[in-house]
Amino acid sequence: MSSILLIEPDYVLAQTYRQALAGRGRRINLATTAQAAILTADRSKPDLVILEIQLVEHSGIEFLYEFRSYPDWQNIPVIIHSHVPPAEFADSWQLLHDELGVHNYLYKPHASLKQLNRAVLDLILQPA
Amino acid sequence: MATAAPQPPNLSNLLLGVAEELKLPLLQIARQAEQLALNEKASGLKTIQSTADSALRLLDNYVLGVRLALEPAQLSRESVSVSSVLYDTGQQLDALARNYGVKLEMNVAGRFGPVLAHRQGLQAALVSLGAALIEALPAQGPAQEQLTLQLATHRSRYGIVAGLYAETKQLSSDALRRGRALQLHSRQPLLNLTHTSGAGIFVADTILHAMQLNLRTSRHHRLYGLGTVLQPSRQIQLV
Repeated sequence: MSSILLIEPDYVLAQTYRQALAGRGRRINLATTAQAAILTADRSKPDLVILEIQLVEHSGIEFLYEFRSYPDWQNIPVIIHSHVPPAEFADSWQLLHDELGVHNYLYKPHASLKQLNRAVLDLILQPA
Repeated sequence: MATAAPQPPNLSNLLLGVAEELKLPLLQIARQAEQLALNEKASGLKTIQSTADSALRLLDNYVLGVRLALEPAQLSRESVSVSSVLYDTGQQLDALARNYGVKLEMNVAGRFGPVLAHRQGLQAALVSLGAALIEALPAQGPAQEQLTLQLATHRSRYGIVAGLYAETKQLSSDALRRGRALQLHSRQPLLNLTHTSGAGIFVADTILHAMQLNLRTSRHHRLYGLGTVLQPSRQIQLV
């Protein structure tokens, strides 16, 4: 069973994404804020993190800095799945990729559930 | 102590916020429809319908706010029952609140006479405000109890307050003032309150400003809220 930490502040979208990602031997753990996400990661030991940048209070980037500061979580793949257009990240993609270990960036308004599932499949092994 | 009069809202900034805000319901509709198609189920159609209705309402309220701001002559004030406006607001917000797992409560206890207001404008402002708060409440972190938004009216020393209240300390005067200043410069002007552009709050701000009212923070029964102060309709009181 693989574990996915889904950090999504919008309640309605969170339910939709959880339904779309569930099954196939996956456990989806949901968090709405950066602080809750750290606690949920500690409890659920995620194999993959899907992260919205725009969160209440602390941003997804702040979450990433804290998340990567723990040795156990340095190699867990992260997909950014955000409302923030990719152009706004063009300058900082190198930092996100090289230093914060972001593997993929999906612009939410353009990313279908199929694309999200494909990006997840690319990063976590399917159970036998 | 003298306080500075609030500046009129910038309509271009507001449009940017509304455009950004509309991406959320449209995205919800698109992904829910995709999920339904994948599962061949029609049970989520109600959610899609209320999401679309809420987006349309935001647009309508934005248009009303801009019209009232640009053509104040359209503003005809009448004697309005605040309780009835709050009931109608609650009805309009009910489906959206269900989608977000938020319980709506009415607190219109007490007898208040009518107030002088533009009824449609007042209701549009409260609906915009309510929709924004319904989206914002679940995003603030895990809740110990059922999330509740209270639609309330009460008397203050300045007049009769109509507002929406919740157990969130993030609804502060400072947050509102910073949000107004950041509206154009930040994707999340109300960073501590909502993950969105908070356009519903600024639409309410615009409508109320056009009606020569103010959106302000307020406290009621240990809850924190946003609302406006209305003046009693003296004409009716004399009858």
